[in-house]
Amino acid sequence: MLDIDNLHVKLADEDREIIRGLTLSVKPGEVHAIMGPNGSGKSTLSYVLAGREGYEVTQGSVTYKGEDLLALEPDQRAARGVFLAFQYPIEIPGVATMQFLKVALNAQRKARGAKELLTPDFMRLVKDRSAKLGISQDMLKRPVNVGFSGGEKKRAEILQMAVLEPSLCILDETDSGLDIDALRVVADGVNALRSPDRAMVVITHYQRLLDYIVPDHVHVLSKGRIVKSGDRHLALELEEKGYAEFEKEEA
Amino acid sequence: MTTAVARTAAEEAYGGALLPNPRLEDWKWTNLRTLIDRPFPPRRAVEARPADVARLVAASPFAAIAATRLVFVNGRYDAAHSRLANGSVVATKLTGEPILDMNASFADDGAQLSLTGTTDLPVEMVFVATAGEARTIATRNVIEVAAGAAATVIETYLGEGDYLANSVGEYRVGRAARLDRVKAECEGPAALHLSHTQVTLADGANFRDFTLTSGARVSRQNGTCVFAGAGAEAKISGAYLLGGRQHADTRLVVDHAVPRCVSRELFKCVMDDQARGIFQGKVIVRPHAQKTDGKQSSHGLLLSETAEFDAKPELEIFADDVVCGHGATSGDLDHDQLFYLMSRGLPTAEAKSLLIAAFVGEAFDTIAHDGLREALGAFAAGWLTSHRRGN
Ligand SMILES: Nc1ncnc2c1ncn2[C@@H]1O[C@H](COP(=O)(O)OP(=O)(O)OP(=O)(O)O)[C@@H](O)[C@H]1O
Ligand SMILES: [Mg+2]
Repeated sequence: MLDIDNLHVKLADEDREIIRGLTLSVKPGEVHAIMGPNGSGKSTLSYVLAGREGYEVTQGSVTYKGEDLLALEPDQRAARGVFLAFQYPIEIPGVATMQFLKVALNAQRKARGAKELLTPDFMRLVKDRSAKLGISQDMLKRPVNVGFSGGEKKRAEILQMAVLEPSLCILDETDSGLDIDALRVVADGVNALRSPDRAMVVITHYQRLLDYIVPDHVHVLSKGRIVKSGDRHLALELEEKGYAEFEKEEA
Repeated sequence: MTTAVARTAAEEAYGGALLPNPRLEDWKWTNLRTLIDRPFPPRRAVEARPADVARLVAASPFAAIAATRLVFVNGRYDAAHSRLANGSVVATKLTGEPILDMNASFADDGAQLSLTGTTDLPVEMVFVATAGEARTIATRNVIEVAAGAAATVIETYLGEGDYLANSVGEYRVGRAARLDRVKAECEGPAALHLSHTQVTLADGANFRDFTLTSGARVSRQNGTCVFAGAGAEAKISGAYLLGGRQHADTRLVVDHAVPRCVSRELFKCVMDDQARGIFQGKVIVRPHAQKTDGKQSSHGLLLSETAEFDAKPELEIFADDVVCGHGATSGDLDHDQLFYLMSRGLPTAEAKSLLIAAFVGEAFDTIAHDGLREALGAFAAGWLTSHRRGN
């Protein structure tokens, strides 16, 4: 589904390389966890996959469902099923969450040549998904992320994901800022979306999330490169030993 | 000492009066001597085809909303397209300001309404100009809202071709009455729009005002709101949606002449291309107007590097126990917000439109009528694509 090959990314207005030869292959149905120290390039990788400006790919390629992902605009990537749950969700004053969900879903449907969802069907869908994530109707009336607590913002990201039903879900530290109960609710929400034709890339600092969302593969990202890959036990190992070993290797 | 100034052709057509220009403090940004670049003779009759009138009237953002409608075609009341018998021609004339003086000389018709009772059903006054020879179309309206009454009045300006619209409105809101006024300036792209609205509020009156400025090559809109009775409240807001080389200048004066009144002004102005928006807001608090609460803010959103927004807030405070403030900002669209919206599937134009509608939406939040608010929201959301397409 997703093939990242020897990807090099630098900041557009600075000569600083952030991703330095990253290779990763994700197949449908798989869950990959990416762990790594602060500043190692995890969010940068997620932004580059989603199409944020400010980065320049200098080498390598990203192929998604057989297409050159990097040639697509962010909205085209979304319509083809790429979804990024932001580490720091953006506030949009003046746009109600409910309205936002509706225009986003219908924009994607339109891009795929599907008909707009009728309002009652849409309402039913959102009601169902928000109930499962413990999101109140009141929150849906509020402007997108404005005045949401850290945990509410993360829940709202997962709600968007649940409504948009993407095929590649990239979760950037969705667990940070969540209390223990919220973590379980959000993880259940994510697990509900697991399916043989959907893949997930879960960026996290904590092994705890991976107790709930059990990954098929775990990768360690350090200084813009994957320095070790393994199965879920690698996460347990990291929890115990930290990243010292990899940072030494790199130096 | 007097200096002779050679009259422009436009001034000659108006009988020789000097047009406002930057020598007048209030006209710093809008030089009508150059902007009115050719004669627009007053009282020039133009034949209007009923089909054109019907088409223009249907273009009002509020076409589906107002049950009561007065239509003025090329400055004259048009009974055939109206849904209300008009009152008599307005007798009193306001003067002392260039737009008022022009209107006093050239306006022959307008609406005279005396509103009693309380209703949420809006009354719409539609002013349409049909294509024809360059000319000045002047209208004058006097609207009175009786004590204790509640009314919603819409002024809509539409047209095509070459014309200068001069519109004066005098609103008197009675004791404990409520008036919601919504104005949509959607004049044709070649038009000039000059208006002056004077509002007088009696004790305990509640006035909410919103002006959409989106049409006309050049517009200058004056507003004066006088608190004549204590304990009244005025919320005056506006939105600009301007593109091309449009020039829009609003000059508001809120006059707190009596104690315990509240005024709020909020203008959200969007400028694309080489458009220029100007907001001049003055708040006067007279010596006896203690416990005045007056706040004013204007915000510009610039969609291109060549667009411009100028704000000039002025406070003249002669009382000591007051709360007054003003603020003005200007900036471009937030890139993080744009990316966030696009990452959820919204194409660039749609994402920008959503942010534009959200930006100006704050200014029509105070409109009580749901249908009007929705119509304005739809107009704002569709504006970017329609203006870039060249409508
Ligand atoms: N737009 C930018 N401008 C300047 N520096 C940037 C930008 N984007 C990323 N960086 C830098 O690139 C490096 C990687 O940042 P990134 O946010 O990808 O790290 P991360 O692995 O997600 O860290 P964390 O675990 O703290 O979230 C950091 O040094 C960061 O400061
Ligand atoms: Mg990060």
